Amino acid sequence: MAAFVLPAVLVVAALLVGPMLLLARISLNRYSATDLMVEALSPQNYLAAVADPYYRGVMGTTLAVALLCTGLTLALGFPAAYRLARMESRWKSLVTVMTLIPLLVGNVVRAAGWMGLIGNDGLINAGLQATGLVSGPVRLIYTPGAVVVGTMAVVLPYMILTLASVIESIPRSLEEAAANLGAPALTVFRRVVWPLALPGTVAGCVLVFILCMNTYATAVLLGGPQFKMMAPAVYDQFSKGMNWPFGAALAFILLGATLALTVLGTALLGRRYAR
Amino acid sequence: MGTLVLEGLSKRYGAATAVDRVDLAVAEGELVALLGPSGCGKTTTLRAVAGFVEPSAGRVLIGGRDVTRLPAHARDTGMVFQSYALFPHMSVAGNVGFGLEMRRVGRAERDARIREALRLVRLDHLADRLPRQLSGGQQQRVALARALVVGPAVFLLDEPLSNLDAKLRQEVGLEIRALQKRLGLTTLMVTHDQDEALAMADRLVVMEHGRVLQVGSAEDLYERPASPFVAGFVGRCNLLPGRVEAPGLFRTEGGGALPCGPAPAGPGILALRPERIALAAGPDGPGVPARLSALTYLGALTEYHLDLGTGALVAVAPTPPPEDPRRRLRPGDPVRAEWTPASARVLPPEAPTGESR
Repeated sequence: MAAFVLPAVLVVAALLVGPMLLLARISLNRYSATDLMVEALSPQNYLAAVADPYYRGVMGTTLAVALLCTGLTLALGFPAAYRLARMESRWKSLVTVMTLIPLLVGNVVRAAGWMGLIGNDGLINAGLQATGLVSGPVRLIYTPGAVVVGTMAVVLPYMILTLASVIESIPRSLEEAAANLGAPALTVFRRVVWPLALPGTVAGCVLVFILCMNTYATAVLLGGPQFKMMAPAVYDQFSKGMNWPFGAALAFILLGATLALTVLGTALLGRRYAR
Repeated sequence: MGTLVLEGLSKRYGAATAVDRVDLAVAEGELVALLGPSGCGKTTTLRAVAGFVEPSAGRVLIGGRDVTRLPAHARDTGMVFQSYALFPHMSVAGNVGFGLEMRRVGRAERDARIREALRLVRLDHLADRLPRQLSGGQQQRVALARALVVGPAVFLLDEPLSNLDAKLRQEVGLEIRALQKRLGLTTLMVTHDQDEALAMADRLVVMEHGRVLQVGSAEDLYERPASPFVAGFVGRCNLLPGRVEAPGLFRTEGGGALPCGPAPAGPGILALRPERIALAAGPDGPGVPARLSALTYLGALTEYHLDLGTGALVAVAPTPPPEDPRRRLRPGDPVRAEWTPASARVLPPEAPTGESR
């Protein structure tokens, strides 16, 4: 068995654990305008990031976007996943593949396309102005709404496919039994489908939340220069500011926040329905 | 409790007809079994009564009320699912109490009724367990209690014994029957197992290709099957195509002459139960001469495969005592087969069945 697992372990160790350790070490170094990075062992970068209102705001925006996207994706994804899971016809596999197709388009390409759609000279504004409903362009791009909707478009397939496989594992007869005992559709959902789908729902939400927390291309291209989320902020420190230690500290704060919320959410929901 | 009436119930899926104009009346307190091979429409019929399948045509009446367009949750049927369909995240008591909760029965009364229902199926000591902690037989009794506790107008059983091992099957079947009789439950049951149906039901409905072929008591169907399909499906039966040549004389397709019961002259199928054939060893004497092609010793019974030269027959008889000459019969030995003419019924030749009409 070990021989089968070993290659994957090596890849993870070489490409994830190694760089992470390196990054952790860098985050404790000191930045100097002349030497860029000076060996040190201090929590200074973390303290500075946490104390800085600007980065607190960036983190707040990131959390708000990620939580909102996760919630909305769940609300939109559950009905679609339910429908997909309960499909019996030969169309089922086709619909499953169609759900996957958006994943074939890279985030940058997709966001660029959105720019053409919702930009001030984009298709929607051109259409609106042609009908004479508005005189000037309606601001759609470079708004938080554009980032939320754009991010949701990226993560929705993950949510739907995760939920669909969970709902599929709930026998239809359980819903029929509940209906037979007098439960209307909404009660069947609340008392049978939702609690049984919960572990998978948590998994889907965790997956989507992590993706949203780390959203980059969508945030940059649809949010514009004024809109800052954590992943672009980290990148800026490395590429533009050349401040590797601070960038590394920001990266670990992002990782820590994501991890903390994931663990907290899982524990809360898990405890509620654990028996 | 009420009656259950199906009027011209049909269900079509595209071009395929799953249920074809089924008429049926189940009296109050009666247990009727829908019996047939898989795909005969029996399950679709049951599901249409429960409200899981919307009929293409026809009506479902429960206690005289037309429920055809009512959703499942408003129908007041109590169904025991083939898979039991217990809620895995609820305790036994939670499962049994679910229907009462939906009917807004108060806590105290609910607890009392849950206890009573569990006592009825002898599971009151397991109320706090989860379904997965129970054996298959226990799970089935929880499913029974869950369906019964709400006092449904119609009780529905979908292959209730199919998931139990053979030893438990008979016991649980009799138990369900006793409970159904005691509580006077109007019951519709679906099964593909004729023994189950014969043992439990007041009346049986034999279905094939979505249609009802015959309705009657176990004895009606066994002794007086209306068609070769019913004869072959309910119990075992020798079926020999041929024609009635003269009163009491049936000519098989192979040319053999066999005694038969009263029937009009013309083509038909001779239906003869294996246990109605009396077998004698040796070539000389009364009866139809035959050659033993195979025999199977089954303990209490022995099965004889007979070659008439013009066709084949299977006979089943209690294994004779050791001193009986029939105990020395071996394949290839000459024998004679005898039966009373009335036991050999001539049935109308099988009409072509299938989707086409």
